[in-house]
Amino acid sequence: MLKTWPSAGPELLWEFDGLGNGYGSPVITKTNIYINGEIDTVSYLFALDHTGKYLWKAKIGREWILNYPGSRSTPTVVDDLVYVTAGWGQVTCIETLSGKERWTVNMMTDFHGTAPRFGFSESVLVSGNTLYCSPGSPDTNVVALDRFTGKINWISKGAGEMTSYCSPMLISLPQRNILVTFSKTTMLGIDTRDGTMLWSYQQEGEGIDCQVNTPVYENGTIYSVAGNGNGAFRLQLSDDGTRINEIWRNGRCDNLMGGFIKVNDYIYTSGYEIRQYYTLETAGGKIVDSVKFDRGTINYADSMLYLYNEKGQVGLFKPNGPKMEQISSFKVTRGTKAHFSHPVICNGIMYLRHGKSLLAYKIK
Amino acid sequence: MKNQFYWTVVFLMISSISGAQDINLDSILARHYHAIGIGNLLQVNTIIMTGTIIQQDVMPAKITRMRPDKYLMEFDVQDIPGLQGYDGQTAWFTAPWSGNPKPQVMPDDRAKDLRCRADFDGVLYNWKGKGHNVELVGRDSVEKAPAYKLKIIKKDGGVEFYYLDAARFTILKRVFYRMVRGQEVMVENYYRDYQMVQGALFAFSLETHFGGQPYNTLQFDTIQLNQPADASSFRMPVK
Repeated sequence: MLKTWPSAGPELLWEFDGLGNGYGSPVITKTNIYINGEIDTVSYLFALDHTGKYLWKAKIGREWILNYPGSRSTPTVVDDLVYVTAGWGQVTCIETLSGKERWTVNMMTDFHGTAPRFGFSESVLVSGNTLYCSPGSPDTNVVALDRFTGKINWISKGAGEMTSYCSPMLISLPQRNILVTFSKTTMLGIDTRDGTMLWSYQQEGEGIDCQVNTPVYENGTIYSVAGNGNGAFRLQLSDDGTRINEIWRNGRCDNLMGGFIKVNDYIYTSGYEIRQYYTLETAGGKIVDSVKFDRGTINYADSMLYLYNEKGQVGLFKPNGPKMEQISSFKVTRGTKAHFSHPVICNGIMYLRHGKSLLAYKIK
Repeated sequence: MKNQFYWTVVFLMISSISGAQDINLDSILARHYHAIGIGNLLQVNTIIMTGTIIQQDVMPAKITRMRPDKYLMEFDVQDIPGLQGYDGQTAWFTAPWSGNPKPQVMPDDRAKDLRCRADFDGVLYNWKGKGHNVELVGRDSVEKAPAYKLKIIKKDGGVEFYYLDAARFTILKRVFYRMVRGQEVMVENYYRDYQMVQGALFAFSLETHFGGQPYNTLQFDTIQLNQPADASSFRMPVK
């Protein structure tokens, strides 16, 4: 991959500018690209080929338009099926080749879920034959569905809370698999066999409801940088996955939805109230450095960090211990509305979604 | 030694007289007009400013102005487009993110502010002809920069204070008061990043504080002069 970019940025290979409104990133498969978008309040799943050529679009359901109008989630592709979530809670399974709907459920009408204030934003998790999603009602915090039929495998009461925008992750242990996600104020550890809640971790504070970033698991440790509540924290997971123990927390960290990257002994992420990126050391959770690059999202590939801030600037940074060294940057001038999406890097191409446009840059 | 003391006193007296001449409203305004390139600005009929508004989020913003006093600001809140407009008679706005998609007439104190922003050459230019009253309050400072403080009582009764850079005679700060939920709140505009555009001077950054706290920043990427604009776009939409 390129270790430096021209001043105008890497070469733009193509742009597809017909996505409608949205903030979700694309998913890249061997043959196609899938991404969501909102047009006239309707949520669509778009399929493009690797040259950005439009293949088809499939209607998903009503999209969220009350604030930040547009699609939120990223599709999940497994084999020949793609799963998508719309802002009013519709979860739909679609055939990747034809765009034909296989099944659909609605987290509000079928599972009594309540829409959070920015709409359903979860990108669903699929593992084996099961799809996991979070309707977020008092009795149906998380549900597991048969991914081929949409039929219910189990319902977990969890913390009995509203969903909180988080896309879950799976921890595979010898004894069990654990689904880790957030509801409104709680991190949940759920046994994927039957939905039993193994443990929970409460976020403390007033008016908290934004736990957006997916946690990271590594060698018995769970890392999280959440939007509000406890901020960044590190949990030790017991060998059998049934207990957690807080190692540290840092309430100064307030990344809302930009994600975070752990490389060796450091976590790289963005602030929210203070518009800058910063580095946390993982041993004690202290902020050890910061860099002024506004605030936004972050990704990592081939030893480099890719930052995409809300002012539309894309930065290529080299992580050097606690330091984030800026190598190159350019400004995204195409597309529409807010710069909220996460950069996606695949096969030497960086994909950036800016509202109606998907942009493909050659970075190899 | 006595001789040296005498000349020092004379020098200080001359400096003092020179300072007194500085503190003359007409002189300050003349230098201000010169600094902003008023001669060139008077040849301009439209100004289109595009950039972003940073207010929690970073959202696109565009301001279109037309001589003598038409103003339209297009901006997004929560990625939902909103408008503020003045057609020379009616100040209006839309705020669909509040749940009401319809255009609304602006309350009087907000309208006073918008009328001021709509004045194409700035309220200080030809203030007598516009029916305003301007007085020099004295010397002050803005973020440690020496400034002249002017008070303007506008024709509509609105009172504002302008702080002009004592060296460059550009506007550093504007202060006025607005009623918010029955309370009078101080509003401060800080003008920064001045750049010449075709011989006229514009602030490319405008930072607003409400009640002493930062509220938003307008950051312009481009300012274009004499581009076509639709005069009807400044009127309050029917629905």
